Amino acid sequence: MIGFRDVSAGYRRTRVLERLSFHIEKGEFVFLTGPSGSGKSTLLKLIYHELKPLSGEVIVADFSSNRLPRRKVPYLRRKLGVVFQDFALLENRTAGENIAYALEVTGASRTFIRRRVSRVLEQLGLADKEKCFPNELSGGEQQRVAIARALVGEPFILIADEPTGNLDPAISLDILRLMIEINTLGTAVLLATHNYGLLKGREDFRRLHLSSGRLVFDGPNGNFAPSAPPAEI
Amino acid sequence: MLRTLKEAILGFTRAKTMSLFAILVTGFSLLVLGLFYLALLNLNTLIRYLENKVEIVAYLRDNADQSEVGLALEDLSRLEGVSQVRYMSKQEALDNFRADLGPDSDLLQDLETNPVPASFNINMKEGYRDTLHVQRVAERAQAFSFVEEVDYGRDWLRRMDIFKHMVSVVGLSAGALLGLVSIILISSAVKIAIFSRRKEIFIMKIVGATNWYIRRSFLLEGFLKGALGGLLAAGLIFAATTVFNDRVIPITNFSDRYYLYTVLAGGLLGLAGSWISLGRYLRRV
Repeated sequence: MIGFRDVSAGYRRTRVLERLSFHIEKGEFVFLTGPSGSGKSTLLKLIYHELKPLSGEVIVADFSSNRLPRRKVPYLRRKLGVVFQDFALLENRTAGENIAYALEVTGASRTFIRRRVSRVLEQLGLADKEKCFPNELSGGEQQRVAIARALVGEPFILIADEPTGNLDPAISLDILRLMIEINTLGTAVLLATHNYGLLKGREDFRRLHLSSGRLVFDGPNGNFAPSAPPAEI
Repeated sequence: MLRTLKEAILGFTRAKTMSLFAILVTGFSLLVLGLFYLALLNLNTLIRYLENKVEIVAYLRDNADQSEVGLALEDLSRLEGVSQVRYMSKQEALDNFRADLGPDSDLLQDLETNPVPASFNINMKEGYRDTLHVQRVAERAQAFSFVEEVDYGRDWLRRMDIFKHMVSVVGLSAGALLGLVSIILISSAVKIAIFSRRKEIFIMKIVGATNWYIRRSFLLEGFLKGALGGLLAAGLIFAATTVFNDRVIPITNFSDRYYLYTVLAGGLLGLAGSWISLGRYLRRV
């Protein structure tokens, strides 16, 4: 479903990721951890194709980074749901409009959009917030709207880049629980974080750990030791 | 299409200050260009008016042979640039002179002979009323033995030539410079407006909007803003010319078509500015 084969990536003169290889299967929940600057966001950018690998191959569903013309990138993105630390909501649109927007750009019909949006709002406990503008919502609610927008197109995977970075610990746990719930309904989740508190008590979850651009751990969270040797490539 | 229009109109309200800035900059630039063009238009009207006064007068000797005069008249009529050659007899010339003198015409009553010479009055076609062509015709007229003297306001014509040349050179270069400045101003305003919405473009891209989807709403918005700027300029030019006509002196006005062109030019500039500025953001993500 998502495959990294010997992927190196970076920007101009700096190489950020070195020879990464791993797979994420359908319906998996994966934590991506590592200190700031270890390359977590770069890895996610490779998945949603904001960045092309310098070498190696990134496979997302049926799309391969080696054979993906620029005009096809939007179609790849429609299969993903992406959530950011700063929520990335349009300030002048209501929660409902922000969510609907992700379907509008695909050319979906109005009836379909209305149906999907109300279902997702319901699912995420936002039904009464549909008409609110982002600045009328709390941080946690804004992130829920962002997650709703990511889910409305029924992606096979939800990619979250530090989704709790701007939230207090209690709300962060709420967001994590929400993501786990989404995962149980069949959507894979890749959650990048350096908030290790989120991983406490989740020993069975798969964890990928980056250090200085290298994948140094790939296994159950319970087995993770800070000095773990590099994962096999 | 409806969705694109809705997006474009929403775009206005989303970045109100930036939209207003782009509209005002476009309007102001087109206003300056329009007024400049209007000034040129009026200078040209003035030049044409002055040129209409260009006339070559060839004074004939009293003993001129009438058949030769007839032949010369035909010959001169055929010269390049000549629109009309009129023969004015001595009597006609005297009558005109009298009429010109008005109440003082009594002065001519005691004359025993008519001192006023007959003449050829030669008019030139438009486009031939310059020193080069006029002089050629004057020299040809002078070559006839029965022509005493040719008068065509040589110095005045030369000054007129220099003036026309200056108007076209200064007009063209200042116009080009103003046009360039306008394009730079308008595209900067559009660039700033788009820069202020880069987050929005990023979000559009992340949720899977195609470049064309993003482009068309921004392009329509750019066109609408530019056209509004054009409308503003057209309105101000119309107001300025109306006031000038009523309160100062009548001037040549733009025809209705030009107002339409101003609005269209604004729209096209907005469209082009958006296209160029957007390209950078669309390539990036």
